Amino acid sequence: MLLPKFEYHEPTTLEEALRLLSELGGNAKVLAGGTDVLVRMKQKIDKPSHVISIARVPGLDAITPRDRHGVTVGSGVTAADLARHELIRDRFTPLALAAGRLGAPMIRNRATIGGNLVNARPAADFPPACMVLNAILKLKSAHDEREVPVNGFFRGPGDALIEPHELLVSINFETPPPWSGGSYVKLGARKTLEISMVNVAALVTLESADGPITAARIALGAVAPTPVRAYAAEELLVGKQPSEELFQQAGETGVGMCSPITDHRGTMEYRCMMIEVLTKRALRLAVEQARAWRP
Amino acid sequence: MSEFRVLNTRAARLDAPAKATGRAKYADDLAMPGMLYGAILQSPLAHAKILNIDTSKARKFPGIRAVVTAKEAGLVKYGVSPARYDETLYAHEKVRYVGDEIAAVAAVDPATAQEALDLIKVDYEELPAVFDMFEAMKEGAPQIHDEFPGNMNAEVHQEFGDTEAALAACDLVVHHTFLNKRQDAAFIEPHACVAVFDLDGKLTLHTSTQVPHYVMRTVAMVLQIPVGNVRVVKPYVGGGFGPKCEATPLEMSAALLARHTGKPVKITYSREQVFLHSRARHQFYAEMSLGVKQDGTMVALKNKAILDGGAYTSFGIATVYYSGSLLGGPYKLKAMKYDGQRVYTNKPACGAQRGHGGVAHRAAFEQLLDMAAEKLGFDPVEMRLRNIMTRGDMTINELDMSSLGMKECVEAVRDVSSWETKKGKLPKGKGIGMACGFFVSGAGYPIYRSDTYHSTVVIKLSEDGGIATVLTGSAEIGQGSDTTMAMIAAETLGIPLENVRVVSGDTDLAVDLGAYSSRQTLMTGHATKEAAEQLRGQIAAVLAETMGCDPSSITFRDGVVLFDGGPGNFEKLRSLYIKEHRGWTDPPGGEYLTFREAARLAYLKLGSMVGTGKYKPPRLGGSYKGAAVGTSPAYGCSAQVVEVTVDLETGQITVDRMTDAHDCGLAINKTQVEGQMHGSLSMGLGECLFEEVKFDSRGRVLNPSLGEYRIPTALDMPNVDTILVESNEPNGPYGAKEVGEGAIMPTIPAILNAVYDATGVRITELPCSSERLYMAMKAQEKK
Repeated sequence: MLLPKFEYHEPTTLEEALRLLSELGGNAKVLAGGTDVLVRMKQKIDKPSHVISIARVPGLDAITPRDRHGVTVGSGVTAADLARHELIRDRFTPLALAAGRLGAPMIRNRATIGGNLVNARPAADFPPACMVLNAILKLKSAHDEREVPVNGFFRGPGDALIEPHELLVSINFETPPPWSGGSYVKLGARKTLEISMVNVAALVTLESADGPITAARIALGAVAPTPVRAYAAEELLVGKQPSEELFQQAGETGVGMCSPITDHRGTMEYRCMMIEVLTKRALRLAVEQARAWRP
Repeated sequence: MSEFRVLNTRAARLDAPAKATGRAKYADDLAMPGMLYGAILQSPLAHAKILNIDTSKARKFPGIRAVVTAKEAGLVKYGVSPARYDETLYAHEKVRYVGDEIAAVAAVDPATAQEALDLIKVDYEELPAVFDMFEAMKEGAPQIHDEFPGNMNAEVHQEFGDTEAALAACDLVVHHTFLNKRQDAAFIEPHACVAVFDLDGKLTLHTSTQVPHYVMRTVAMVLQIPVGNVRVVKPYVGGGFGPKCEATPLEMSAALLARHTGKPVKITYSREQVFLHSRARHQFYAEMSLGVKQDGTMVALKNKAILDGGAYTSFGIATVYYSGSLLGGPYKLKAMKYDGQRVYTNKPACGAQRGHGGVAHRAAFEQLLDMAAEKLGFDPVEMRLRNIMTRGDMTINELDMSSLGMKECVEAVRDVSSWETKKGKLPKGKGIGMACGFFVSGAGYPIYRSDTYHSTVVIKLSEDGGIATVLTGSAEIGQGSDTTMAMIAAETLGIPLENVRVVSGDTDLAVDLGAYSSRQTLMTGHATKEAAEQLRGQIAAVLAETMGCDPSSITFRDGVVLFDGGPGNFEKLRSLYIKEHRGWTDPPGGEYLTFREAARLAYLKLGSMVGTGKYKPPRLGGSYKGAAVGTSPAYGCSAQVVEVTVDLETGQITVDRMTDAHDCGLAINKTQVEGQMHGSLSMGLGECLFEEVKFDSRGRVLNPSLGEYRIPTALDMPNVDTILVESNEPNGPYGAKEVGEGAIMPTIPAILNAVYDATGVRITELPCSSERLYMAMKAQEKK
């Protein structure tokens, strides 16, 4: 398959990239890792007349810790870099796990967190992880800059709260409090190189190693037009002592937040039952990690 | 200790350096001065009348050099089997599936060719289409070919013994139905070819194929060129597995466009076009009954098959025969009945794929065996051993098991897997299962009726006598046949492997039917051995004459000549050689006469040193209708044990371990045999757990990519314990027979038997996805 004809831009500064975006707007596509956009262009789903590569814009590929409070991840950071980054694995575990489950090694070497979020696919790996970590997205345009919480960023399949002249430049994460642990689990047909039938991210904070749950966040993917937070299930967990029964209840509650579809990857019926199972497992893993928390 | 010097080792493949360094050239890598690029227009509709084709705009498009349709191509009917030629190069009156070829263009670059396709205007009158094989058989279903009412493409009815009476006399009869899904072979290299005519009107086709010989014949027939004016050359090929076993519209279009333009023309299929061309594994529906005695003796098998053939026949007639004939063994039966039907539907045509015709029915049969064993209280291993065939047995449908290490295979996998400590003793969610199978070592008859040799080989020595070059038409497609032939030649000539070269895959060099039905090791191997023997005989005769000894006292080993098993008094020969070679920088030394000296001396007497070999099987099989399908000079066989873990909460299956024993007669190259075993298991695992070509309601393939058509990844494949069983086949060269396809036979049923062991659930439909298994477990709970 051949790429359609387009004009290629390779800005070397952020200002230049933003200027191009503001000039070309809806006629342009941003090229980061290219693992989605080039495929869609070859399939003639996207036919942009301009492609703006951000590969040479400095700084977008940086993971920058902010003291002990959090971390700023450039939108051009690859899945492979996130999956092996010590701080991310340790304190922002769902993010590292989701990065490690995205595609296969060659795809992870190219695919970026920014691209994965902006594409807004319902089954994508990064959104649920970012949602339980309450990520804040920084969007810039030639004349403006704004911060958008990831919870609320997704509007529908392929549709997110970003304007054609805006560029997602970085994602901010606050470090979860002590005694927090996180997880990301996903179900596909194969062990790897899979688009999820269901995926679940969880973040749980305990009062102490053997204390009750003080905060919980659960995000579900591939179960609705956008990834969703299972708020009712989260509320159910707070103040309670972790247990298998509790996780099971949370899973059952979580299903209520979903409206999965039947497609060639799986039926609605099966997906609903798997939301339950995967939520339970994600919570179990998150609590295990929380209990092993070290300063 | 083996007496072999080259065979039965782990010699490195001949093509390893070229492939490891990226120097190996595949068809799409080829370029020629002035070369044009072709593209093919394919039908967007599954079933429609063609009212009009207007190519005028495309012809005027800048950069376009030719546009061809049925008008230019003619309407010569072709196919695989002369009994069912039902294709023309381009559709003329109607299209029968989404992807049916309508026209082709040649342009100065690929983008221009693609753009021109959009300018060809085709007026269609859409017809009702049918996509399901059961629907296609119903009265009133849309008719796809006028000549085949009821969409019945081919029917087989065979019976050996009195099945009904035998079943009635059995203590237990078990029944099972099974449905697999249409597969894609998912080879890494999509089809590609370059066609070029020389100024004398001779066509050379460089193409990614398994069968240069059949491509040559079909292209010559369709384009009406004398066969002698067509040369097919196969560059390196990135896998075939069956679907590259026939001439394609790609090859014929490239040749036709080359003729119309006078320029070389290249065409390459996209991955989507590979799915549309298909010719891969059919969808089979099996309905089976097995009758057994209380003591575990198998008595009678009733087997019914329905095959979804797609829009054309391709290999289908052979396929529908194989689904019956390949169940005759490896167990003794007193009666067997088979009724098979292959049905046309408005989908891409299905053809041959690894384990041709046998895989789905083997999967049903080996599950049925386990069901019978369970009811009778027998261990599945014991049940199989009670009924197993051994060397010299004849199947009920007259297939001659001239060697058969089936029992040894079963015992080996039982022991290596520690079956007895596991079967029946594993916790819920863990399971162990086993199965057997066998396959031909080359089809007993060519696809077209002929007394042709199936293989001829020429071996030529270099002028200095040091290098032997094997010239063969056989097709190295990644399976390692070049290395195999080099090893056979080296062993027979008594020279080191590094002194042998192989030139293969070229119809101008020799006759060879190609890489299908697991035939090359046995058949091309025989011809190679014979050519080497002839050459060796010529050298020995010259040496004997000079030395005044008996030729039978001369042997060749490791590149030296032995007289009566020792160095002998060869000074006279060496002096002759040195005299001949005054001024050369590499005078021979050592205490033995070298092969190079001997061969050079033979050349001085005889001229070019050439040996030729040939092979065709003797007349094989019974005299009933269809008896030819399934015959072979030899049969390879395989037993497997699979261990699985089933996630009872999700239905997800993890295959933890596979133990595979295969009887290949003699492993010419042990590493290559194991490679075939690993590959077969991986392909079987994929078909069992993931793979299915899916269609939407209008007959368009939903998942025509390796992203959405899921073959196993490295993480899905467990470690495999491979065991080589060597039964020394009397009809094989040095005792060798097949491994490439027999090894896939037990994989699916062994996995499904293990899943049953883990869950108590029998899966009757593939793929055994997590969802299918989960739902089946739920349904079982409710019972």
